[in-house]
Amino acid sequence: MQKTKFPAVVATFVVCFAFWVLLTWSFTMQELIAGAVISLAVALFSARFFIHEKAFWFLNPLKFFSGLFYWICIFPVELVKANVNMAKICFGGCKKINPGIVKVPVDLKSDYGQAALANSITLTPGTITMETAEEDGQTYFYIHWIDVTAPSGKEAGDAIKGTLEKGLRRVWE
Amino acid sequence: MTALRIVIDVLIGIGAIFALAGTIGILKMPDAFSRMQASTCIPTLGTICPLLGALLYAIFFKNGDVASAVKIGVICLLILVTNPLGSHALAKGAYKAGIRPEKKMETDDLGRDLYE
Repeated sequence: MQKTKFPAVVATFVVCFAFWVLLTWSFTMQELIAGAVISLAVALFSARFFIHEKAFWFLNPLKFFSGLFYWICIFPVELVKANVNMAKICFGGCKKINPGIVKVPVDLKSDYGQAALANSITLTPGTITMETAEEDGQTYFYIHWIDVTAPSGKEAGDAIKGTLEKGLRRVWE
Repeated sequence: MTALRIVIDVLIGIGAIFALAGTIGILKMPDAFSRMQASTCIPTLGTICPLLGALLYAIFFKNGDVASAVKIGVICLLILVTNPLGSHALAKGAYKAGIRPEKKMETDDLGRDLYE
């Protein structure tokens, strides 16, 4: 287990405090001080679980704006496409589906990148990440896919997460 | 203002359609994993579109009710962050508990690699 570092505590504190302000949305001194004390306590105890890598990487403007671009432009488009597909399948009779679990290689190195990619894949209807595995330094995702159109490996990976991974690589690598 | 009102209503309607699609999918799909896939429609577009409509309503029709708008944003964020965790855990748990579809799956790499 890693030690608690000061930048990690600061970053966790900022996140906790922002969340407190968003939830209460009152700016009296009492509320703010109570929130600050609680956030500090939470940050001291949980920073080492919350931050594993660099604490302030998001302050790099290039990374910040590519992250914003991913969450506002790339991901919603994929989400709407997959939703429309799934709605078509649901309304048009569910007999023609072709489900299966495929194994696809993932090129993202960072833990956060992999987590974001897995969550994005699970959020798009039609694909669910079920398991991750590492073999010879290459990470693999096992993905349940509602309509298998390509065999396991690179091809299926491009069909499922090609655009998502390209967007995320700009944020985390 | 009327145009905005129409946009809000359309957003809520789209959300209702996708929620209906997800529900029909849950009832009609043949096995557990496919049902889980269909249900993903509900927390994504089925929730986000009505929340977006509510957000616009809070901002433009309630004289800039920022507190409500922010809370709607937080709800949206929380659903987007927690939903995949739940789906992922359910799918993995179901697979580990030995649930398999009746019709054989097209490919089953997870069973081949880890559970044999």
